[in-house]
Amino acid sequence: MPPRSPGQQAMSARWMILPAVVMTLAMVIFPLGFAIYLSLGGNGTLPALGLGHYSRLMADPAFWSALRVTLVLFAVALVLQLVLGTALALALNRYNVVRGLVRTAILSPFMLPPVVVGMIAIVVLDPGLGAANWILESLGLPHFLWLASPRWSLLVVALIDTWQWTPFVALIVLGGLQALPARVYEAAEIDGAKGWSLFWHVTLPLLGPTLLTAAVLRSVDLLRFFDIIYITTQGGPGNATTTLNIQAYKLGFDFMDVGYASSVMIVLALIVLGSVVFFASLRKKVSW
Amino acid sequence: MRQFIIGAAVALVAMPAAAQEFDWRKHDGETINVMLNNLAWTQLMRDRIEAFTEATGIKVRAETFSEEQYRTRLTTLLQGGSSELDVFMTLPSREAPLFASNGWYADLTPLLKSEATDPAYNYDDFSAALRQSGVVGEAVTSVPINVEGPLFYWRRDIFEKCDVEKPEYLEDLPAAAEKIRACDSAITPWAARGLRGTVGYPLGAFVYNMGGDFMDEDGKASLCLPGTIKGLDLYGSMLRDYGPPGATNHTFTQVMDLLGQGRVAMTNESSNEFSTLMKHEGRVEDIGVDVLPGGRESGISKPVVINWSLAVSGLSEKKEAAWYFVQWATGAENQEELATQGIAPSRVSVFNGEGFRNWASESRPRGEWLEALLEISQTGSSLYQTPSLTRTPEAREILSNVVQQIVLGQADAETAACAVTDEVQALQN
Repeated sequence: MPPRSPGQQAMSARWMILPAVVMTLAMVIFPLGFAIYLSLGGNGTLPALGLGHYSRLMADPAFWSALRVTLVLFAVALVLQLVLGTALALALNRYNVVRGLVRTAILSPFMLPPVVVGMIAIVVLDPGLGAANWILESLGLPHFLWLASPRWSLLVVALIDTWQWTPFVALIVLGGLQALPARVYEAAEIDGAKGWSLFWHVTLPLLGPTLLTAAVLRSVDLLRFFDIIYITTQGGPGNATTTLNIQAYKLGFDFMDVGYASSVMIVLALIVLGSVVFFASLRKKVSW
Repeated sequence: MRQFIIGAAVALVAMPAAAQEFDWRKHDGETINVMLNNLAWTQLMRDRIEAFTEATGIKVRAETFSEEQYRTRLTTLLQGGSSELDVFMTLPSREAPLFASNGWYADLTPLLKSEATDPAYNYDDFSAALRQSGVVGEAVTSVPINVEGPLFYWRRDIFEKCDVEKPEYLEDLPAAAEKIRACDSAITPWAARGLRGTVGYPLGAFVYNMGGDFMDEDGKASLCLPGTIKGLDLYGSMLRDYGPPGATNHTFTQVMDLLGQGRVAMTNESSNEFSTLMKHEGRVEDIGVDVLPGGRESGISKPVVINWSLAVSGLSEKKEAAWYFVQWATGAENQEELATQGIAPSRVSVFNGEGFRNWASESRPRGEWLEALLEISQTGSSLYQTPSLTRTPEAREILSNVVQQIVLGQADAETAACAVTDEVQALQN
């Protein structure tokens, strides 16, 4: 068979990527495009195409409340997960005794489906019947409302997510730790660095790209937070745990206001995109 | 099951002369898709679907979901214009006008008048009020499968032990709760729904019985009315002062669990949950069932009564086969069987029939439950939020938020109720 010309090879390559292009168009571009179309009033959700849903959004206190809840949940849970995940990874890396089954047990929460985590939270944190208040009572401490407290329920949700996803962050950081160059540590030790100083001035900067990878992965999930809230509080008490995703779900599926729900989802998608771009650009800056 | 299949086959063969002409096997070999909400009715009916296939040759692919997931999936399919769904369960008081205006219900009127309906079906046998719930304009959009409403459940033994009279009027609830708390601190005097979107159903009678309504004399939607504020205040303060901790996350599952486990003295919860409640140890002996007490000052007793129904999808391409399933599922024979397992029938003949009455007479709570159902069927209203033709779920959400503010002590009833006047009026079509 004669060798194929560069032009033929390029044509062949184009055909080979066609299925991937078609799938991307069908699975990503079309739904996104359709959501934008709906948010602009397409499919009869507004009398005419325009920015009506978006101007309603700007004047809707429920939207601003949901945005605030989303961002607070994102910030609190992300910081907690990165800090605790790094600490857990350092412990796993340092103590060889934490291996095998013990390591699997420590890392297992993120393998649980969110529905199961939500159900566990309902059972454990029920203010009347749950184990959490029973433990507080045994310690002579007053009962707590947990997910029923308008003031604290958002933090409790953040803690539930932190319990589930810290091991995931730890796993990523552990991978990063084990890939750090030994020679840097040897040089640092020769220079007298150890303990906290070694961690702060050597380990943490070297872990920067790894931590930012974990931050990107967790921020996408945290900004789209839905399942645990849906199962435990449905966004309540009041609007205390109503994230943008919960609000859009209610608007779209309960109130059947699909156009307006789509505008909320488009705003959320832009926030997620912004967060990913931000962390990705930060990652470039701390790469070594 | 085999006995039932043989029984169903025999019953079909042994139908009266007119009914014998009806061809139940006209759609032999077809397959229909049915989507059901996981009610007690559904759990019992699922075991019987095989008999339908035996009798008609129509295969049924039935999917069951819990209520929230059910609504999500149903809405997704209908909004997506899916023709795959043939039969679905619907709550007319919540969604009939909206679903009808979107064309999601098939009009059953021509089917009822056609040869596609078994002459023995007798649509007029359904209670007139329940039939009406499924009529939008001139069109019959669904057929009722049950009758239900919130009922007052109370623990006779606790009331007796604490020397408390069963509240004669709604205004007596706080005093009864106070006495129970003083007598037995291990018992929570009261429980009720507090979760967003779920409060309207048990709250409705509190509003009506305290002299309130969901619209003013001019027909404008409002919660800022003297009687309505009293009803909201009583519901919210009972939950705040005598309810279980964390009640704002409770819906009927938590409320009935607490009552079933013997931790609560009284509640106002769905009649549908009666058979589940009776499965808890000791409850047959100590539970009392009645209609929620009326208002002393208002002299009003106006409970809430609703029904779930079966509808044929307006987008279905197998409407007649789907209608066969609806006819069979809502037929007298099935209702008689289900009635003796605690499903309140929507057919008058079954409700008043010997089988249901005999079943109810087997225990005191069953008898009380039946009498209470009879009363709410005659005096009840299916409206339990500010009236709106198509935005009922939003109205119920607003109502829940008002109650949550009272329960959480964030606002008094008047402030919370009057603050949403513009919001509820904006929902009116």
